[in-house]
Amino acid sequence: MFYTDDKKQYSVLNRRTFLLYLLKVSFFGIVGWRLYDIQIKDSKKYKTLSKNNQIDIEIIYPLRGKIYDINNKVLASNIKVFDVYLIPENTKDISKSLNELNQIIKIDFSDRRKIIELSKKVKKFEKIKVLENINWPQLEKIESNKLNIEGIFISQDYMRIYQFDNTVSHLIGYTNKPNREEVELPFIANMPNLEIGKDGIEKSFNPNLIGKSGQREIEVNSYGRVIREISRQDSQKGNDIQITIDLRIQQYALNLLNEHKAGSAVLMDINNGNILCMASTPSYNPNKIIQKPNKDYWNSILENELSPLTYRCIQGLYAPGSTFKMVVAIAGIVHGIIDTNTKHFCSGKIGLGDRLYHCWKNNGHGLMNVSDAIKESCDVFFYEISKKIGIDKIARVAEDFGLGKIYDVPLANQKKGIIPSRDWKKKKYDESWYPGETLISAIGQGFVLTNPLQLAVMTSIIASNGKNVKPNIIKQNKEIEFEKFEKYQNAIKIIKSSMFKVVNESKGTAYNSRSTSVPFAGKTGTSQVRRITVAERESEDFRKKELEWKKRDHALFVGYMPIENPRYAVSVVIEHGGSGASTAAPIAKEIFQFTKNLEI
Amino acid sequence: MLNKIQNLNYLLIFLIILISFIGAAGLYSAAGGSYNPWASRHLIRLVFFIFLAVILALINIKYIYKFAYVFFILSLLLLLSVELIGVFGKGATRWINLFGFSIQPSELIKITIILALARFYHDLKFNEIKRIKNLFFPILILFLPFALVVIQPDLGTALSIAMLGILILFASGIRIWKFVLGFFILILSIPLSLNYLQSYQKDRIFSFLNPEADALGRGYQLIQSKIALGSGGLTGKGFLEGSQAYLQYLPEKQTDFIFTLIGEEFGFIGTMFIILLFLLLISVCFYISIKSNHIFGRILSIGVGSNLFIYVIMNISMVSGLMPVVGIPLPLISYGGSAMLAIIISLGLVLNAELNGNLKKLHNA
Repeated sequence: MFYTDDKKQYSVLNRRTFLLYLLKVSFFGIVGWRLYDIQIKDSKKYKTLSKNNQIDIEIIYPLRGKIYDINNKVLASNIKVFDVYLIPENTKDISKSLNELNQIIKIDFSDRRKIIELSKKVKKFEKIKVLENINWPQLEKIESNKLNIEGIFISQDYMRIYQFDNTVSHLIGYTNKPNREEVELPFIANMPNLEIGKDGIEKSFNPNLIGKSGQREIEVNSYGRVIREISRQDSQKGNDIQITIDLRIQQYALNLLNEHKAGSAVLMDINNGNILCMASTPSYNPNKIIQKPNKDYWNSILENELSPLTYRCIQGLYAPGSTFKMVVAIAGIVHGIIDTNTKHFCSGKIGLGDRLYHCWKNNGHGLMNVSDAIKESCDVFFYEISKKIGIDKIARVAEDFGLGKIYDVPLANQKKGIIPSRDWKKKKYDESWYPGETLISAIGQGFVLTNPLQLAVMTSIIASNGKNVKPNIIKQNKEIEFEKFEKYQNAIKIIKSSMFKVVNESKGTAYNSRSTSVPFAGKTGTSQVRRITVAERESEDFRKKELEWKKRDHALFVGYMPIENPRYAVSVVIEHGGSGASTAAPIAKEIFQFTKNLEI
Repeated sequence: MLNKIQNLNYLLIFLIILISFIGAAGLYSAAGGSYNPWASRHLIRLVFFIFLAVILALINIKYIYKFAYVFFILSLLLLLSVELIGVFGKGATRWINLFGFSIQPSELIKITIILALARFYHDLKFNEIKRIKNLFFPILILFLPFALVVIQPDLGTALSIAMLGILILFASGIRIWKFVLGFFILILSIPLSLNYLQSYQKDRIFSFLNPEADALGRGYQLIQSKIALGSGGLTGKGFLEGSQAYLQYLPEKQTDFIFTLIGEEFGFIGTMFIILLFLLLISVCFYISIKSNHIFGRILSIGVGSNLFIYVIMNISMVSGLMPVVGIPLPLISYGGSAMLAIIISLGLVLNAELNGNLKKLHNA
């Protein structure tokens, strides 16, 4: 490119350059005028401010929203507490102030030393928390002696309180100081001391519950006394949240569960998916976690081998055992492999390859159709039909019925479980599927793992004649309509009549738990936690023997109520409870009866 | 060579030295009346960088013209590598270690953007400028560094890159209606792009737009900054007599808030003096631009002057509460090597442009 002598270009450039220069001069003018405002016009105001006083900004923390149950019962709220602070610049001798305070309320020597250490590090007008959550008599004593203790400052604060201790602890969670990463969260950006939800609903709904901070611009003199408030913007309380849990059922169910070491119970409203009860034992007391000192309590929780922090309803994974048979039967009917007339003979075991597969009943059930096989929970019938259905078809139906899924509900850390298939095994172990594994899966053992909420959802879908029921934990004001799986209609009809027989006909596995006042239907499940040896199987009464707790089978029951137009679905899991019929079904019955009597 | 040294613009060099000395005085005061740790290093850097600038001024401008795009691409790669170190290494950073010096590529890139745009408009025939397709390349030159700086995230520098680009495009003769159109497209795209942002991203942007919500951090700085400035009054409290800064109320007093400290100690007279010195410096750049006989020199000088202008206006607006605190230093006065290096080198380029203002051909170097 040669140097161009384009006159026109240069005249445009000259004009533009001039305009730019004008722009810049005017910007300098604006800045100069601003400085004139600050340094000349308002100089007096700023001079007084700089002389003795300083402007401080105090963040006004918002009050955390409350959590209610479905009947507006308060589950979590805030109570007023008082904290004692020390302002280093307001006392000549910090240790003297602390000693005087120590006369009223005992402060550990090591704590006192820590406070003195801290006071050397922070700005001298920064408040240091000395005592937290003091009681009324203590507060009165300190107030009356306030003038004698230099640098003392009492402030009112709020503390989270959970009205029902450990009843809904897993679901609601608890609050605590944010950790280093959480401080970066946008909703607490300017409130580093705010307690935030660490688990459960408290965590999932942090942005809603927290509210908005306010601020106070105050003028403080050199003694730390507030001279005047320059501006104030109040904080906005966080939103309240109403969950679908019915506290009465939750309490009742938890009491039943507490007779056992570990287990869970989930009750759902089939019509709208509302989870009315989701109890898990053992549980913990969130109040003991947030009230300091909490170290001993924490350690006792962490050392407990039953792990009370685990929310078994969504985090406990169990082989569903015979409760999985409904899914297999539906797969068989839908794919035309069985109908109500299809019969198989159960002699107590079948062979496949070089292995024997046993029915729970050693001497066999005899000739079984699908209805009998569910009612009496015959394993051999399901071994036979699963060979023809194949694992992949079973897996697809299981997923339609809500198993092996994480639900889109604000429940943190749901465990997905496993619904095995050929693809799954290839991906996970890089191995091909063995035919025997189909048999084991068909009775809900082997790879199959589900959580109790999934089992309740599965039962809801069956009970609702194939509506794709989605669980819900936050109370909704709008009507909820679930879409329907038309293809399963016929199969579900057969399965529901079989589930009726399980509880209400003799020979049904849950016949002993039948209720004449509140008839219900369901299915028991007993899932092995270990392999039964040949020797044990040969000794007739291996099931009756007192086994070590950890080696006992898990007891499961899923069911729905009432029989016609079902409204409630339940899943009960008792870890190492023995058998579903003896341990889980009676609990389901009690929950149904209690719920029915509430007449909600 | 000797002739060239004689013809150097000594007013410009004098202004650089004078402003830097004022900076050193401020840093001396900020350290509580001590050359350490800031003032001494500030002065050593000044000597070193002035030397560099003079050498740069004496190079034949043809080489600068020839390698303009290369410089741009190199500094873009530096910026990118900072980005990658941030992603794969120790977390977000703005610095890179080069030959034992810590350098902020985001400062250097502004200079090479000016060079690249100057060369582009030099090469482009005037009647080609109005073609829409000829906007593509300049916008790419601006957008790449802009995007890299935004994701750092350094919104202050990103904003200054955008403003620099607008000023240079304006100076090079792009039709006014294109700016108006671009402005409307920008306004219209704001609600649209907000839809695609995650809620936490929106929160970040809003807290950037409304720093008062973050009162304990930036809002606190701003209030202290205004008290310091205002209490200085007309004549100031006197050298080393400022109280606010010593009481540790003023954070970043040696970098972004140095102007406040000077305002407290030297008052309105002091701040006006600094503003006038900067205006004079920028005027010199513009004078050299008008005098230049080739587009490369013209755009280069205007670009450097505009860059200075953006630094100064953003910094002073920031400390006096006219705009949110975004972290932009005051040229030659704030402590910090990268910005000082970038500013003095760019002024060295302007010196060069003046010495070579009468050249006829640039390309066959």
